[in-house]
Formats: sequence, structure tokens, C-alpha cells
Amino acid sequence: MPRFGAVLFNSVVFLFAFLPVTYIVFWTLRTANSRYVWLTATGYLFYGYWNWKFCFLMAFSTLVSYSAGLGFLRWDNNPDRRKVCLWLPIIVDLSLLGFFKYANFAMGTVSGFARWFGADVSVPHFNIILPIGISFYTFHTISYIVDSYRRVIRPTRNFFEFAAYVSLFSQLVAGPIVRFRQIEEDLQNIGLHDRTHWLWRGLSFFTVGLVEKVIIADTLAAFVDPALANYASLSTVGAWLAMLGYSFQIYFDFSGYSSMAVGLGYLFGLRIPQNFNSPYKAGDPSDFWRRWHISLSSCLRDYVYIPLGGNRRGDVRAYYNLILTMLIGGLWHGANWTFVVWGAYHGLLLAVHRRFAKQWDALPRMIKQPSMFLLVLIGWVFFRSAQFTMAVSILRTMFTPTFAVPIAQQSFVLMALLVAAWWSMAGPNVFEMRHAFTPRQRILATVAFAVSLALIMGTRNSPFLYFQF
Amino acid sequence: MSAPLKVSEIGGAPLAGLRIEPISIRRRLALSRIAEVIALPIVFAFSLEAACRIEDWVEFRTPVLARERSQEDLLVRDALGMHGRPGGHFQKWSLNAFGMRGPEVPLAKSADAVRVVTVGASETFGLYESPGREYPRQLEDTLNAHLKRLPSACEQSRAQVLNAAMPGMSLPTIEQDVRLRISPLRPDFVVVYATPAAYLDDVLPVAARRNTTGAVLALPARFALHPRVADRIRVQIKSLLPTVIQDRIRRKQIAAMLAEHPSGWRFESVPPERLEKFEADLRQLVGSIRSVGATPVLMTHANRFVGSRTPDIAALRAWEKFYPRASGQTIVAFDSVARRATLAIARDSQAVVVDLTPVLARTNGSAFADFSHFTDSGAALAAETASRSLLAALRTNTQCH
Repeated sequence: MPRFGAVLFNSVVFLFAFLPVTYIVFWTLRTANSRYVWLTATGYLFYGYWNWKFCFLMAFSTLVSYSAGLGFLRWDNNPDRRKVCLWLPIIVDLSLLGFFKYANFAMGTVSGFARWFGADVSVPHFNIILPIGISFYTFHTISYIVDSYRRVIRPTRNFFEFAAYVSLFSQLVAGPIVRFRQIEEDLQNIGLHDRTHWLWRGLSFFTVGLVEKVIIADTLAAFVDPALANYASLSTVGAWLAMLGYSFQIYFDFSGYSSMAVGLGYLFGLRIPQNFNSPYKAGDPSDFWRRWHISLSSCLRDYVYIPLGGNRRGDVRAYYNLILTMLIGGLWHGANWTFVVWGAYHGLLLAVHRRFAKQWDALPRMIKQPSMFLLVLIGWVFFRSAQFTMAVSILRTMFTPTFAVPIAQQSFVLMALLVAAWWSMAGPNVFEMRHAFTPRQRILATVAFAVSLALIMGTRNSPFLYFQF
Repeated sequence: MSAPLKVSEIGGAPLAGLRIEPISIRRRLALSRIAEVIALPIVFAFSLEAACRIEDWVEFRTPVLARERSQEDLLVRDALGMHGRPGGHFQKWSLNAFGMRGPEVPLAKSADAVRVVTVGASETFGLYESPGREYPRQLEDTLNAHLKRLPSACEQSRAQVLNAAMPGMSLPTIEQDVRLRISPLRPDFVVVYATPAAYLDDVLPVAARRNTTGAVLALPARFALHPRVADRIRVQIKSLLPTVIQDRIRRKQIAAMLAEHPSGWRFESVPPERLEKFEADLRQLVGSIRSVGATPVLMTHANRFVGSRTPDIAALRAWEKFYPRASGQTIVAFDSVARRATLAIARDSQAVVVDLTPVLARTNGSAFADFSHFTDSGAALAAETASRSLLAALRTNTQCH
């Protein structure tokens, strides 16, 4: 049975054992190299606490990509060998990802198609454990290889610098997808950082993230999860409330994790880029994807959409590229056709918006923002559903008046939804907040941390939703 | 000599001729820093405690100023014996006005109700199950679901299950409870889930002494200030200890206990006199249940070790820690002979029997959160098994109106 324990930022063992020890030892060490080694070791310890066997997989992936980087340095003027250094590690990384994440999905799909055509094909089902965070660290290594090939970055010769980048515990299991170029400078200066320079900012980001996750997301989860577990017995109002709740839950869950990751980065002198920029304030699909999971959408843009031709080959090809890119993005989230449909749905929204951008943009903001939120919410139905039957059932309940038993504690649920709605659609995100740490802010942060801690020690200690990806 | 300048005046009017006293500013800064150093931990502690209390209220409706500090405070000793504290609240455990875990029920039974009272110890009270998932609550749901589907007159009936169990309740105490407290509730069935291992304790179980002094039962008001966060911290620390270390601590505790007693004190095999006492107490309870006009239902005690392919040594040691006078093997063996005795008593006394042991043995331990307490799914299985026997009894008895 895998343990999530220490790999949860919102766990007592992480907050009071792993983090303080990692932090104190890190700042006790003086040289860059020793800090790389320490960050690598703690990254593997962090990951190994979940399942130590998969540390070997991550080490192998790291070694392959690092070797490719050395290859780029050695064969700087040999295009053929550079191509080998590009494709070989990508194939290795994608094969690992494909096996662990998509093998059973592919087998199941083949078997399903065969049955559809009347053939009785016996397809094996592998007993595979999906290594947590594999989608994230695979993207880290691939982005490093591609950027090295494109000469956007100069590959590092320091193995531990690269290993620390891949296994950095703050971003290891649920992102953000930090490209090497984004923290290269900080990594190279890791031996020079002043401990107190980013300390308060880091603690502030971490506390805000903790509040997002523990107070907002987990509170919403307390009614969303049971409601959606019994989706067939939901009323129309119940289905809308549950999906509204889920929309805010997934945002605050993932945004909370990202805020904590950025905060942890600051504590170690690493500036991890913004991953969420109030996405529910978006007025159109393109705007939404510039704000939601920014690290993934920018990777998809740079490594899928643009290489496919982007919008350089006419409108029809641009629509096709948008849909295909988002379809791949959907599949990246999970090996399930519901994710593929979710990705295709967003691709379609992007394509339609591209076609009717002038008309859409002419609409007032007070129509665009709620409409965009509504479209995103409908997409979440597919994202949340384990099967199509569930998605269809929820959508049917949402759009045809159905009466059933109301959701328990409805007034409390409405209050939680209102707070979540205000913060996500009108309030400031963590990057827009002031992190000056005035006495008033210190008191606020103390209260926020104490409340979060009480809840962590109480009934709620849930893993992050994005761990499954 | 000019007056010292206030901090707020700096940068305002021209400063010519005015003298700033830097020591005063430094002192103020130092004082404000000291105030902050003192205030922040207080704010932190207060917020932590307040959040615990508010969460308890939101999750379980436990009053913010509830006076119970532990499970033991949920027990009360009065003229009726020892039982649950009426209206008691502690963490996820809430007792109704009768001191029974579960929702409020009227004293008078409605005409269409089939009233079932479950008695026993912590297994019946519910320790690890989610609130509302303990076996008596699930038994009520299951019975009602079955009753709706019955084509007979039972279709109109409604099951009402009252959970009168409390942790640590022994058979003599339960018997006293049935006579003095449960009888006015006029139950149709009393379901007994006894804990045979209690008969391996150093002292034999006796009925809890009644408090006939008429002393006030309320807990002192100051108990409301007991820090709830302390309980959470304790639970966290305990859960962080690896199983190996927990097991080692238990082993040491058992060894220390054994060292205090002469050799031969420990039961290395089933003590026959203890089994006889168990049988006698159970027979007396069956008689008392009948005397209050209810049908006795006897459930055999199940544990995680019967039928387990790989015995969980750490869990067995945890059980041993509760009854250090007996070895782990003896406790399990005693549970097995007590099961046979329960079946025999049910047969002799024409009581309804629910043989839970083989049913839960098939789950390979997944029905149990520890050595003998149920998980949600274990409680569901116990409820389903008990409901089948109860429904069969309902059909043959006249409880369906």
C-alpha cells in the first residue's frame, strides 16, 4: 500500500520533520555542490517515502537525460548525433511514461474496439502501479533535452545540479512543470543565496497555499466527494452545486499546491514560476489557458502546438493543431477517454473562439467571464467523471429539472462556495498579494497557519488531486 | 530643553532645534518586538484551539464548549448503574438524551416500530468507523431497507435501533443496564455482542457499582477549557510512530506488567473457570432480556486472527496489551471457545443467534481496524449478517404489526 504521508505538503511529518531538517541542513552547507547533493538526496527521500522502488525509475530517467545533455555538449557541431541525443532519451522517457501510465489504457481500448467489431480478443491486463509525478518529471526531462537541442539552454555538466532540478521535492510530484531555463540561474547561484532574502516571502506563499488547499479545497471536498459518489441520486440543484464545488475544489487544490511549491522554492533560494493567474477571471478560452496550469499550457504550446505548425499554415490547420494539442493535454492528465474528451472539448473551445474572436471580444466583460466559467465548469464534468455514463448522467441532471434529496448542510455549502467564488473570481491570487510581512500580516499568517494545522491534524488529510496525474 | 520627539512626528514639521532620542525609539522598537514575540504564540495557540472546536462543531455538531475531555467522560455512574452520559459529546461520538450513541428517540415506542437495542462494549459502540457507520446505525438502515421490500405485514414496520453499548462494558454491567435502564424503552430485541476477552482480565468482571447518593452528574465547567488540540497532537504523534516501534513499546509494557507478578500468573491456555463465568453471565443476561419482554439475540465475537492467512503479530500484541494476563494465543483461543459457548447458550435458551465469526473470517482481516474493532465495511457486514437473523425472527415472531 503506497503511503502519501511525507509527500503531502499538508502533513504533520512534512511540516515538522522533513521541511525543517531539509531547510536547516541546506543552509548549513556552504558550497553549491553540497547543496545540489542535499537537494537531490532529500528529493529521493521524499519520493521514496511514497514507494522507494520507483526512485530507480526516476534515477534512470535522470541519468538518460543528463547523458543526452553531455552528448549535446560533445557533439555541438554534429547535427546527426545531436538528433540521436534528442530522440533517444525522448523515446526512452515516453516509453516509460507510456508503459506505466497508458499500457492498460491502450490494451483496454484495443480490446474494446475488437469487441465492437465482434472479435473476441483476449488482451492482457498488467498489474501496474502508476508512479506518482511521472508525468511531471518526464516533462521536466523532455523540456531539458528539447531546450538543449534547440540551444535555448546550455546543458549542465554537473550531474547533481541536474539531478537536483529533476528531483526537487517542491515540484516533484505535482508540478509546476519548471523548465530548466526558468531556474537555471538560481540553480547556478545556489551557493551564494542569502538565507533570509526570500524567507518571509516563501513562508507567506506557503501559508497562502496551505489555506487554499486545507481550508478551501478540502472543505469543498467534504460535500463534493460524497455528492458525486452518488451522482445518480442528485437533483438538478445538487448537481450544479456539486460541479460548482468541484470547479472551485480543483482550482484551490492545485493552485494551493503550486503556491506551496513556489513558497518552498523561495525558502531554498529558487524562484519557481507562477502556475495559476486567477483562471476563473478569464474572459475567453485562450485567456483561460494563459492563466490555468500555465506551466503545462506553455509546454504544450512550445513543444506540441508550435512544432505542429501553430497558426502558420492557415486557419483550418490552426484549428486542427489546437484541438490535437489539447487532446494530447487531456491524455497527459490521465489514461481515460473522459480526459481525452475534456481535452478535445477545450481544443474545440479554443478553435471556436479563434474563429469568432471579434464577435466574442466585443461582448461586455460581465458576460464573457461568467460564460467562460460556465463553459469550463461543463468541461470539468468530463474531467471528474470516471466513465462516460457518469458524465452523461451528471450533465442530464444539470440540464433537465430533477428533484431529489437536497445536499446535506446546504447553507454551509453555499457559504463555502461563496467564499471560494469571491476569491477565485474577484480576489487576488498569491502573486498579486502583498508579502511585506508587516505586524498585521504576521498575525494574519499565524492565524491562517494555525487554523490550517488544526484541520490537518483533524479529520482532513487528503492527497492533492493532481497526484493522480 | 526641548521635549523628546514622538516617532509619528518624524518627517513632519521642520526638525531644526529638536533633539531626537534614539534610545527611546530603539526601546519602543524593542518593546514592540517583545510584544510580538509574546503575542504571536498566544494568537497561534488560541487560533489552533478555536479551529479545533469549530471543526468539531461543523463536522460532528460537538458543542464548542462541550465539557467531555475524553471517551471516559462519556460514561456516567448513577442510580441505574454505569452507562453513557445523556447528551454527551466527545469528538465524533455523540450521545442522545438516553446516553446512547445515535439520534434522539422518544421513550414511547410507536405502534409501527420494531425497537432493537444493541448492547456490548467498544465494538458495538463504534471506535474507528465514520460517524453513522457503526454497526448499530448500519443495522437500522439495513433492516429498514429489507422491511420495505417485505411483502408481508412487516412492510409497514420501521426498525429503530438504539445503541446502548459503551466502551469497557462487561456482561454483568450490561445485565444491570438491561434491567434498570433499557427495560422502560420496551425493546423488541436486544442484540448482545459480548467481549469474551474481558474474562481474561486480572479481575473478573462484575456489575458496575451504582451511585445511589444522588450526587450531581454534570462535569465541572472548567472541563470545557480542556485543550482539544492536545488530543489531536497526541494522535498525530502516535500515528507517526512506525509499527515496529509501537510494537516494541507494547512488548516492553507487557514485559513490565509480567515482571510485577509471580510466575504462573499468566494464562498460557484457556482457563476453564473463566469460561464458566462467561457462560454464567451470558445466561443470566439472556434471562434478564427475556424478563423485560424482549427477544435475546446473541452474536458470536469475531476477531481479525480467525481465518487470517498471515497473522498480524503487531495487532495481536496490541490486544495482548489490553489483557496482559493472557498470551495472544490464549486470547484468540478463548474467543473461539466463547463462540462455541455462545452458540450453545443460544441453542439452549431458544435465543436468536448471529454467528458473525465465520462471516468476518472470510474478509482476511479487512473487516477490522485493529484486533477486533470494525472498519466501516466490517460494520456493514456485521449489520447485514445480524439483519438476516433479525428478519427471520421477525417473520416468526409477532413483532410485525
